[in-house]
Amino acid sequence: MRHVLIVAALLILSAPVVASSFASSASSAGSATSGSTSGDDKVVLQARSDAAGFVASAGQIRSARLEAALRLLRERSVDARRASDMQLAQAILAR
Amino acid sequence: MHWRCAVVKLLLALCVLAVVPANAAQLQFDQTDLTPAERAASASLLKEALHRLPPRWRQTLDARLQLRWSDDLPSDVHGRTQAGRISLRRDLLRQLPHQSLEDTPALRALLHELAHVYDRSPQGGLSHNPHLLDLAGWQQRPLHFGRRSAHNPFTGRSPDEYELTNPREYVAVNLEWFLLDPEYACRRPALARLFAAHFNWQPAAAACAPGLVFMRAEGRTGQLEQLDPKRVYAVDYLLAEGNAAPMSRWGHSMLRLVICAPGRAPGPDCRLDLQYHRVLSFRAFVEDVQISSLRGLTGRYPSRLFLLPLDQVIDEYTKTELRGLQSLPLRMTQEEISALLTRAAQLHWSYDGRYYFVSNNCAVETWKLLHDALPRYARAHLRSVFPRRLLRRLARAGLVETAVLEDRAAAVRQGYYFEPMDAHYQALFTVAHEVLRLPQVRVEEWLALSPMQRAPWLGRGDLRATAALLVLEEAAQRRAELRARDVLKRRLLDARVDDGARTQVRSVLAKTALLMWPASLDGGGYGLPQQERAVLEAQARALAGQTETAWAELWEQAQAALPAREQVQLAGVTQNLEVLGARLRVLADKPQ
Repeated sequence: MRHVLIVAALLILSAPVVASSFASSASSAGSATSGSTSGDDKVVLQARSDAAGFVASAGQIRSARLEAALRLLRERSVDARRASDMQLAQAILAR
Repeated sequence: MHWRCAVVKLLLALCVLAVVPANAAQLQFDQTDLTPAERAASASLLKEALHRLPPRWRQTLDARLQLRWSDDLPSDVHGRTQAGRISLRRDLLRQLPHQSLEDTPALRALLHELAHVYDRSPQGGLSHNPHLLDLAGWQQRPLHFGRRSAHNPFTGRSPDEYELTNPREYVAVNLEWFLLDPEYACRRPALARLFAAHFNWQPAAAACAPGLVFMRAEGRTGQLEQLDPKRVYAVDYLLAEGNAAPMSRWGHSMLRLVICAPGRAPGPDCRLDLQYHRVLSFRAFVEDVQISSLRGLTGRYPSRLFLLPLDQVIDEYTKTELRGLQSLPLRMTQEEISALLTRAAQLHWSYDGRYYFVSNNCAVETWKLLHDALPRYARAHLRSVFPRRLLRRLARAGLVETAVLEDRAAAVRQGYYFEPMDAHYQALFTVAHEVLRLPQVRVEEWLALSPMQRAPWLGRGDLRATAALLVLEEAAQRRAELRARDVLKRRLLDARVDDGARTQVRSVLAKTALLMWPASLDGGGYGLPQQERAVLEAQARALAGQTETAWAELWEQAQAALPAREQVQLAGVTQNLEVLGARLRVLADKPQ
């Protein structure tokens, strides 16, 4: 049930060189954070598509990844604790 | 060490006759033909062996048990138990004065034979204990009315492959190690616990290396990952929903480990620590460029247990395959979670199963993992060859919480359900369609356009429309990648071209296969890795370095071989994403 994917993954996806070519959605969608990304930054980066869905749907599409990123931002900063979910989602898109 | 003992099924006489309890002093080797020095050596050997036995075992010894040194055992046999008499190879006696008694072949051989005698006694019977058979690897089968398989697939990192002969030898070999190796409880913790409970007694034990280690499957870096069962708040049954593809119709069963972020006390808050969550997934490892259904039916592919980051699993299913993931909490105590993870580590390092599409697929493997690790789950009649049916049976037995899915929006927000990415494509497209008055109505029409045809619209939307177009352009990118991958695969399989490349891919796959079978690394030790972890990791990293170089070369060739149409498409999508990303940053930065 998983084997097809294993083949595909072995053939193409998992070599690190691939990260800079095909599987580049995260980087090409533009991340302002450069250099080394900490685990926390990765959470926020990975939530970019989820934040875009949230903003585009005026809050209707709300995934666990977005929730995790919002919680993380609020754990890290006082400003984030005062901001609304929509403001924080926009902040993720603005990064 | 490899030595052979032949056990002849005996007379049940020993069991039927009332046992005359042995005073340890009464037992002795047959003194005939022994020199005084040999008599002394035999006596101290026996004393050492009896001293090592748990009291409960020692009490079952029958005073009529005969012990003798023998010259007529076959050359590869160290000992034999027959009709109430243990015979040990005389060569072992000759070696005795030159070795310390601590761990000599003679002591091992004697304990091994005493274990057979004990196993056959009314108090013994360990080789018929269902939980021991589950743990050892004579597992129940999903079909055949749950009868046990005759073959033991736990061949990796065995202390002595002779244990795989049959359950009786397994018990004798493992009792030897249980009594002699202070690390036994670290390396085979579940069996050590079973023995300790059976005898109500613990042998001297060494301190174990911390946590449980797994070889990281993602990225093929050869790194070991350490898991601490105490940091695992919950285990979910993770079901990837089926789709129309023939191999995926029935869905895929996995287990999700809800691991808490460092510093967070285990509790419901850990559910959102998604980046730390891991997935236990059985996968068929395919060492060829094409999957073959026939080979799948005949069990030619190895079935192995991998530990993957949840993030990777979410992306693979919801973004690439567009399949939903249900994550349903299993009812488990902390002790059960620990037993499950220990079993998973044992499978990871020792289990070399065969993948059969019907009789040994992911659902069967997941069922066996739960069944073999947790007696409470074993009693629940969960046996099934279908992922959804396994879930239904778990639910019927009250072992899984399905109510978390009742409120779909809450389930999505809390990570009990991960939606396939295309669930909202049409709604998102409608947002952009209304703002930009796009000529297309259906999202499929939009995605069917070339990146160059979409490009003129991308710089004109407001924040919401641009955000919607970003999500859709990422979808377009994944489609273009899948198409490119498909083109490459077809070329690789085309018998007329690229024979060299095919050979090269096969050779790299063969090397990668070694990384996917951690037991193939040679670090010494057996069972769960202890102090040899660093050696294993160094080897794996070296191997990973080699395969990575080979993959990189292969990848360069593949990219160059990509037809111009695919290259233009991929470049176009990348450029569109840059435009959208830049516009979004500007729009999102303005206070709304």
